[in-house]
Amino acid sequence: MEEFSGEEGSFNSEEASNSVKECIQSIIGEESYRQDTVNQWTAKIVEQALTLLVKQTKSYKYIVNCAVMQKSGAGLHTANSCYWDTVTDGSCTVKWENRTMYCVVSVFAVALTP
Amino acid sequence: MDEFQSSEETAFVVDDITTIIKDTVETTIGSSAYQQNRINQWTSSVVETSLNQLSKLGKPFKYIVTCIILQKNGAGLHTASSCFWDNTMDGSCTVRWENKTTYCIVSVFGLAV
Repeated sequence: MEEFSGEEGSFNSEEASNSVKECIQSIIGEESYRQDTVNQWTAKIVEQALTLLVKQTKSYKYIVNCAVMQKSGAGLHTANSCYWDTVTDGSCTVKWENRTMYCVVSVFAVALTP
Repeated sequence: MDEFQSSEETAFVVDDITTIIKDTVETTIGSSAYQQNRINQWTSSVVETSLNQLSKLGKPFKYIVTCIILQKNGAGLHTASSCFWDNTMDGSCTVRWENKTTYCIVSVFGLAV
């Protein structure tokens, strides 16, 4: 409960995570991997996710990163490292998949110094 | 002269950062073949070493480094990023590297403090 009241000064990663999941689901939920449209999908996902985050009207700079990969048995690893203020800044990563593709979206929120 | 110096010290210089990242990936992976049991160490090593080098630059930036390592087997991969920041001071750069069996994509985002 105490953590909840600290929302003002820190990044709410659960809320961001849910927004991003809905975003992905609405854009590629039922789709199969297609080389000619995957470009549009990644662009739409990052733009929509960013728009949703900015609407939360907290004073943050945001970076949204999205990777979509075809399911074909290849190995994929991702890692992030951040040099920032651990009190006010935060991130969340959402891993999503359907029958034909994987989607990994990372959101980074860096507090704006007033 | 004063203004030129101070803007250089506080600017996000893409070329310098690209060089740092390329060297880091080359040192960490180099000509090694993709190995599932080492891949974790590689990604961690690339991001940590890169971040160390970047913080040594001593510029007033917060940094985010992301690394994707992908086995070469014909799978399609697409990545995109979108950023809500200060266009005049913040910046990013992406380095794509490959060897015979592996692709490695490293993105660095620098946000002015």
